[in-house]
Amino acid sequence: MDVLVQIIASGLTLGAMYAISTIGLALVYGSLNMLNMAHGALLALGGYVCLYAMTVLGFPAVAGVAMAMAVCGIAGLLIYHLAARPMLASRNFETQIFIATIGIGAVLENVILRVFGPQPVAQPLKVDGAVIIGSVYVPNQNILILGVAVLLMAVVAFVLNRTRMGRAIRATAQNRDAAQLMGIRIGKVYAQVLMISGALAAVSGIMISSLSGLLPNMGGDPMLKAFVICVVAGLGNVYGAVAAAIVLGLLESLIQYVFGVQYSFAILLMLVIAVLIWRPAGLFGRTQVVRM
Amino acid sequence: MSAVLDLAGVSSGYGHHLVIRDVSLRVEEGTLAALVGPNGHGKTTLLRTISGLVRVRSGTVSFRGRRIETLRPDETVAAGIIHVPQGDLLFPDMTVLENLRMGAYLPDAAQRESQRLEEVFALLPKLKERQAQLASTLSGGERRMVGIGRGLMAGGNILMLDEPSLGLAPIVIDQIYAVIQSLKSSGRTILIVEENATRIAEMADVLHLLDNGSFAWSGSGSDFLSSPEIIATYLGA
Repeated sequence: MDVLVQIIASGLTLGAMYAISTIGLALVYGSLNMLNMAHGALLALGGYVCLYAMTVLGFPAVAGVAMAMAVCGIAGLLIYHLAARPMLASRNFETQIFIATIGIGAVLENVILRVFGPQPVAQPLKVDGAVIIGSVYVPNQNILILGVAVLLMAVVAFVLNRTRMGRAIRATAQNRDAAQLMGIRIGKVYAQVLMISGALAAVSGIMISSLSGLLPNMGGDPMLKAFVICVVAGLGNVYGAVAAAIVLGLLESLIQYVFGVQYSFAILLMLVIAVLIWRPAGLFGRTQVVRM
Repeated sequence: MSAVLDLAGVSSGYGHHLVIRDVSLRVEEGTLAALVGPNGHGKTTLLRTISGLVRVRSGTVSFRGRRIETLRPDETVAAGIIHVPQGDLLFPDMTVLENLRMGAYLPDAAQRESQRLEEVFALLPKLKERQAQLASTLSGGERRMVGIGRGLMAGGNILMLDEPSLGLAPIVIDQIYAVIQSLKSSGRTILIVEENATRIAEMADVLHLLDNGSFAWSGSGSDFLSSPEIIATYLGA
């Protein structure tokens, strides 16, 4: 029983963190068919901006998070205007932007490396203490992560379903030509989506670094997992991505407990292969299949 | 009579390939103009060029006295051009009601949303029954009605319909034509692309035959129906 509580507690935390970074990827892919390979670098950027704001500028935690979200949101906007927009008209947009964002991610990561150095640093945004359930010790930090993630998911769902901007984003994702014929300026939607994705990446990066510390290349592994989740859910499907993130988080913590940490990613990837053989468009995807 | 829409020497296409060549077209206020002709000869591209989805390469497009050939699609919609695209292009994960409301996305239309919704439901009562259903679960005829209804939600000064009878059963085609007839009777300006030339000719004030990117014949619907040699040459009927 205690083991189960432990697995669920850490699995939900993992899932929540994955979900936040995956939502951003799914929104961007859904709207403009863009796989943003700089997403991992944005996670790291968010973590480091929060560190900088809190330790160097002496900001309180909330302001540190807000600043990280603003900086990463602007970074997302720049990626749209400097890289994605000039390529949009190209027939090979998907491949071009994929490669371009790999380059942007590498540059960004090396800037962070240059500024903050290669040694691991602890994320100052961390709450102490723990809640004890039975004989299980659940750190308050995990509970905070879960709470913030649920709140953010609610905000994203509200924006998508209840606001004019959200309707435009959903319409663009479901049919780009039709969205334009409704009077939606899709260039604006693309820019908004990349900003939102950047801001969410910042929060996710802060969450991840609060548990495992800051490193310039810390975003690589979570980004890979976020892509895995996107693919399993069906590329571009936001709600499917949240569900898949939480299921994979729980699964990962179960696998880690049963087989050990070193097997978790390998087994996760095997599951993905199995899912894709069974449903090539992903669990919640429609018929669209993307080949790179 | 004043022309709502006036194209002069318009060419457009995809990549290096020109699909529309030097087309001039006037659509008068309150009339129904039809574009007919064989498949793959540019009828759909011409509508997409007017609404801005395809860029104008040369020539001018005037709409209610204003030049619009350089506008983006969202700007032509704001100017009053309503384009109901071929194949409906509904938003599959939205309900019928959400799809209709998307038609009133722009601020001007949003202000009149509830009033227009009443009008659309009055014209297409089936949609009122189906309003909570997801668009992806509708039948072909219902999808077509949502497409037309969504366009009407925007108001606009010209309604462009691209193959409204495509792929529908004959009885459903009759229903769609009845809707078009009542839109025409209410004084709307309509530009319609239709595969079934003789059927639309019965209703059209003006008919243009588009062949290989240019107009091969233009005249009234009744002149078209009394020119069997034109029909035989271009439409093989």
